[in-house]
Amino acid sequence: MKSNYLFPHKYKKFGWMVLVPTLVVGLITFFNEYEPSFLNFNMPAIFMESVGFPPDQANDRLFGMVKNNILNEIIGVTLIISSLIVAFSKEKSEDEYIANIRLESLVWAVYVNYGILLLSFMFVYDFAFFRVMVFNMFTLLFFFIIRFNWQISTLQKSASYAE
Amino acid sequence: MQNSIKVERAKKNITQAGLAKLAKVSRQTINAMELGKYVPSTVLALRLAKIFEVDVSEIFTLEDSDWE
Repeated sequence: MKSNYLFPHKYKKFGWMVLVPTLVVGLITFFNEYEPSFLNFNMPAIFMESVGFPPDQANDRLFGMVKNNILNEIIGVTLIISSLIVAFSKEKSEDEYIANIRLESLVWAVYVNYGILLLSFMFVYDFAFFRVMVFNMFTLLFFFIIRFNWQISTLQKSASYAE
Repeated sequence: MQNSIKVERAKKNITQAGLAKLAKVSRQTINAMELGKYVPSTVLALRLAKIFEVDVSEIFTLEDSDWE
């Protein structure tokens, strides 16, 4: 089946090789709030808001430069790109049935992701909610990847009993 | 929907893997169709008919539940 919105199958392995270590490093640095000083840079920014200043000292600008540690940017970008590749690389034999499972898993992942987000909205506050938001940037793809690969592997098992 | 893929396959003496190759789908798809877990697209149904050299309606038959 032709599907022009999927990456070639060979990308999937590469995606996994980047995704797993980045996820581990990301979790460790996130919980330890690790910010190595050699990654401090002045970065161009848009929609700059100064938080915590009284209104007369606030300096909101549309464009500007901001001092920032870019470790979280690097990890975030790498995580998103590698998750997208893992999630949307073709299977070895991508056909209409696999496409069917792909769609079903995606719908499932959206429901689960927003289900958890709804609960978090209602019951998690302050800095803990900020953490939920950080995780939520990636969980939709993670839930999809887990569900889809699990479905495919049970499929392979059930097919190998047959015949 | 009922299908007789397994029967047709036996008549032609083709394995699931062999049929999968001929129809250009995965073996899991053939297996899922035989178990009635997956209803194929029109294109795949027509491909199977061509491989088995029969009419599509000889492989696939509607059930009452298909009208619900």
